[in-house]
Amino acid sequence: MTRLQKLDDYRYLIPKSFREGMNVEGLIFASSELIKAIENDLTLMQVANVATLPGLVGRSLAMPDAHQGYGFAIGGVAAADIHKGVVSAGGVGFDINCGVRLLRSGFHLDEVKPKLDALLDQMFRDIPCGTGKKGIAGGLSYDELDRVLERGAHWAVENGYGDAEDLLYIEESGKIPNADPNKVSRRAKERGRDQLGTLGSGNHFVEIQFVSEVFDEEAAKAFGLFTDQIVVLIHTGSRGLGHQVCTDYLEIMQDAMRKYKITIVDRQLACVPIQSPEGQSYLHAMASAANFAFANRQMITHWTRQAFGRIFGSSDLKVVYDVCHNIAKEETHRVGGSSRKVLVHRKGATRAFPKHRPEIPADYAEVGQPVLIPGSMGTCSYVLVGTEKAMDETFGSSCHGAGRAMSRHAAKKQITAEQLLHDLKEKGIHVRGASKSGLTEENPDAYKDVSLVVDVVHNAGIARKVAKLIPIGVMKG
Amino acid sequence: MDEGYRILEHPADMGIEATGPDLKSAFKQAALGLISIIVDPASVEPREQKAVTLHGTDAENLLVKWLSEILYLYDGEDFVTSTITIKKLAATELDAVLAGETVDGNKHRLKMDVKAITYHQLKVEERQNGCVVSVFLDI
Repeated sequence: MTRLQKLDDYRYLIPKSFREGMNVEGLIFASSELIKAIENDLTLMQVANVATLPGLVGRSLAMPDAHQGYGFAIGGVAAADIHKGVVSAGGVGFDINCGVRLLRSGFHLDEVKPKLDALLDQMFRDIPCGTGKKGIAGGLSYDELDRVLERGAHWAVENGYGDAEDLLYIEESGKIPNADPNKVSRRAKERGRDQLGTLGSGNHFVEIQFVSEVFDEEAAKAFGLFTDQIVVLIHTGSRGLGHQVCTDYLEIMQDAMRKYKITIVDRQLACVPIQSPEGQSYLHAMASAANFAFANRQMITHWTRQAFGRIFGSSDLKVVYDVCHNIAKEETHRVGGSSRKVLVHRKGATRAFPKHRPEIPADYAEVGQPVLIPGSMGTCSYVLVGTEKAMDETFGSSCHGAGRAMSRHAAKKQITAEQLLHDLKEKGIHVRGASKSGLTEENPDAYKDVSLVVDVVHNAGIARKVAKLIPIGVMKG
Repeated sequence: MDEGYRILEHPADMGIEATGPDLKSAFKQAALGLISIIVDPASVEPREQKAVTLHGTDAENLLVKWLSEILYLYDGEDFVTSTITIKKLAATELDAVLAGETVDGNKHRLKMDVKAITYHQLKVEERQNGCVVSVFLDI
């Protein structure tokens, strides 16, 4: 077996000889430090496994925050030819359109700090979070839920959650057009019906942060960001509805693979031709789940504004952007000198389109798309901007976060909840968490250093640093 | 092989390894392992029963479907299980009765949301001295 080959300071190639059956090469973006962590688990093998899927174009990619996942590595990007390629439900993952949204306020750090605890308490009351918490009382009717799946964030705005202007600053304007609720099972709807408008648990959060550093004045200005400004970062996804869609289609794809004579090296990579009835059904169901997630983040935005309004008398929070990091998107990319339609799977990766792409908001046309990178609890997050180089090398994709470095069990053994809360408070970070054990599992030491991850994408040129954000208040599910 | 389960580590998530003298008991232990991740089982009473019949393509597929069923009943129908009786377990078919009750946030000590059951490093092994199954969960 041929091992990993270092191409330069930020790129490592997995040659086709790494494992049998690879149709394309693998490419990992990492520094010499981060590659050690990546080599430590099954990430390389998973990137190589993805490279065995039929109809892939370019390379099977992994971002510097990559770690072992299921089938695909988390932090993986793979593009399939739209006519000859396959779609894999596992390549999008269980939390369809898990993503992040950044809100900017007109407040300075000094104005919010004195009332931070009151604000966090209000948000904790207003935003349903934690295990077993319900959203809208009694749950939505099936008919109404179908409208959510069709209309995404548009449904939320039409029902009083936020403003029409918000929709301009969401990937896909908050509504993926080819959604079809009929392709979503009753079970998925049953799981999602009373979870719309909930944060969930695990690594999902709402953080109150301030802009601690601006690296790119022009882009920061276009995004409406300035030093010491208070911003809010929301991280959540499609909840039980999305999880069930993926569960359902893993079964459907496994059954259908026999018909299409597709063999795979890992059952979690189950896939079908994009143009097959099963492939199209999945994409319609995935779009529906993605729209659920857009609506979810829109509702949480509304409640965050409400909490700011109650505490500060002003609820003027604008959406900077909202990105998906678990999704498959039909896009046109240059491959080997020609323009090709491909389905880009981003499993724990963010779209990072450069300036002048039609998909990005008009206000950002001269700078590029904001790329939002949440760090681990109590460290920092980043706003980046997409680049031309990402179009050349990564199908317009970049990293999505810090990436876990330690199991939940190991993280929990490291520190008690009391000690963690104390340590964070010493650093000026106030925390509200629904679960003590949940907090310790998300302890910052369980993650890679997000700054190292972001430096790799910045130095490799597949996104550019715009601003650094430091948290002062954390709300965890 | 003794009946029981233990939690396995994964960089991002969790797994369960369950053992028993036969496949039935290993499947039952895997389910109890899943339930123990979601809720403190001591807080759940077996007040009502649900019958479950499942078909799979093979034992591994059946294990994923079995645990996905218990997860669905919890997350979709608010039914949390405490007592499990597997009446029949053949190569591709499982019949069981789950006893439990409706989820009550005030009564049940809920611990963690589980997103899904995965096929990652899924294992169903029948050995001379008993059975071992292992499965990873997306948290």
